[in-house]
Amino acid sequence: MKSEPEYTPFELMAVAGARELKDGEIVAVGLGLPVVATFLAKRTHAPHITILFELGVVDPEPIHTGVGLADPRVWYRAKILSSFVDMLGMVLHRGLVDVGFLGGLETDAYGNLNTTLLGDPKGKFRHFVGSGGANDIASSARRTIIIIRHEARKLNEAVSFVTSPGYLRGYGERASAGLQGGPSRVITDKAVFGFDPESKRMRLESIHPGNTVEDVLANLSFQPIVPDAVSTTEPPTAEQVRLIREEIDPERVYAG
Amino acid sequence: MTKLSTLAEAVASIPSGAHVALSGFAITRCNMAFAREVIRQGIRRLTVSQCVGAMDADMLAGAGAVERIIYGGGSLDRFGRLNCVNRGIEEGTLVAEEYSSLSLAFRYLAGALGLPFIPIRSLRGSDILKRLQELAPAEIGYVDDPFTGDNWLVLKPLIPDVAVVQVQVADEGGNAWIMGPRWDNEEQVKASKRTIVITEHLVPTEVIRREPERTLIPGFRVSHVVHLPFAAHPTSVYRAYDYDAEHIRHYAEATKTPEGFQKYLDKYVYGVQDHWGYLELVGGLKHLNNLIADPILGY
Repeated sequence: MKSEPEYTPFELMAVAGARELKDGEIVAVGLGLPVVATFLAKRTHAPHITILFELGVVDPEPIHTGVGLADPRVWYRAKILSSFVDMLGMVLHRGLVDVGFLGGLETDAYGNLNTTLLGDPKGKFRHFVGSGGANDIASSARRTIIIIRHEARKLNEAVSFVTSPGYLRGYGERASAGLQGGPSRVITDKAVFGFDPESKRMRLESIHPGNTVEDVLANLSFQPIVPDAVSTTEPPTAEQVRLIREEIDPERVYAG
Repeated sequence: MTKLSTLAEAVASIPSGAHVALSGFAITRCNMAFAREVIRQGIRRLTVSQCVGAMDADMLAGAGAVERIIYGGGSLDRFGRLNCVNRGIEEGTLVAEEYSSLSLAFRYLAGALGLPFIPIRSLRGSDILKRLQELAPAEIGYVDDPFTGDNWLVLKPLIPDVAVVQVQVADEGGNAWIMGPRWDNEEQVKASKRTIVITEHLVPTEVIRREPERTLIPGFRVSHVVHLPFAAHPTSVYRAYDYDAEHIRHYAEATKTPEGFQKYLDKYVYGVQDHWGYLELVGGLKHLNNLIADPILGY
């Protein structure tokens, strides 16, 4: 009997993220799990992916884990070191980015993302990071993938501040705002979601091994669309886990 | 013509109320020695701008030198948030015009190109745009594309009074090279009315003339050149020195309360005469030597 490899919820999220990427695509990433997912895809089924970081870094091959995009560890062995206008302008705004990988404080039933503030924007609130390139990526990438922890406070009916637009309030609202593309997947540590083609409301696609539909819904603050039959997310292979632990995130900073 | 000046002279050229574009990005190539000197000289009511908020803007905001920040959001990467900027926004003491990285880069680009406005696809449908329409309605507009009839969101050019840029290499005329990614720095410099260059290495113009294709900052846009080692400490300068993790952790902790930050300022800004005194205080040559970048890795 084949023994199941052990993996952490973060490793499963990274693997589920990697699976969404196709060979040859141009991928814009922030830091954290999206980077692990993208490097994993590049080392397995999608060796011709182009990775870009907003500040002007293309296809780096880091050998040390960085603390953020501003850390030169993350730029090591890049093929291009340039600028915002070059990356977010002449590649992303030009329409050439296939996939944007985003995370945030909270997302909602229509895949809008908040990285700005929690609380009442007109009253008392706590301010966090803001957009950086996230709004630009959400506006101009052909599709975006959201990676976020599965917690009720992070998955709401509506976010308190739309930093990066998903489908806004659903149906044609995103298109009316003059935007194409939109989120294709939301990956949490319990499930993978897609979006209903008509209403653009989040729809359960698959549940990670060891979780139930009840688990998934109990830790959400809104009701997603739940199809009659929901599949189980394919678990990571032993080789994927080995790559993450030994080569991509050896210091276990992101995939803990 | 030499533009070499001391840090104190360069800072003294900036009046209270000026708009200063800063070259930092989170915790790299931040104008830290500059910020400390601005605070010591008591310059106030500044507008500061940068596409990604960084430690230089945070320190200036915390010290009460900033009235308005125009930025695309920011952090100290995994060391923490921009506590001083965030506190100012939360308490209403700091006016924050929040954009995204690209929308602000486009405003600098429009300024650099001398364009009247620039169309952009970002911001549409977002609460960032709604907030800007309330806070800065004169910077946002809409026009119809004369070729297709499509309606476009357009932004006003951003033209700072002065750009302050930390670089690796410059000559005394201000011709400067930036190594590594340069995020918004080229557009900032070229949009601004003038530039102050702070350089790690000062080289003869002959060095610049031998590799002129590397010159990102033209000397004719520069008013002052300040030659000062470790001027970005505790942030990093690619291929020169690494960030000082221990010091940034200390800063992130100290800035959690106004009292903590005041103690930090008293020690590291007001407690020293100048940048040389600061470098001694943070550990001197022995400590700084450990931060010098490996020539292959660049950090």
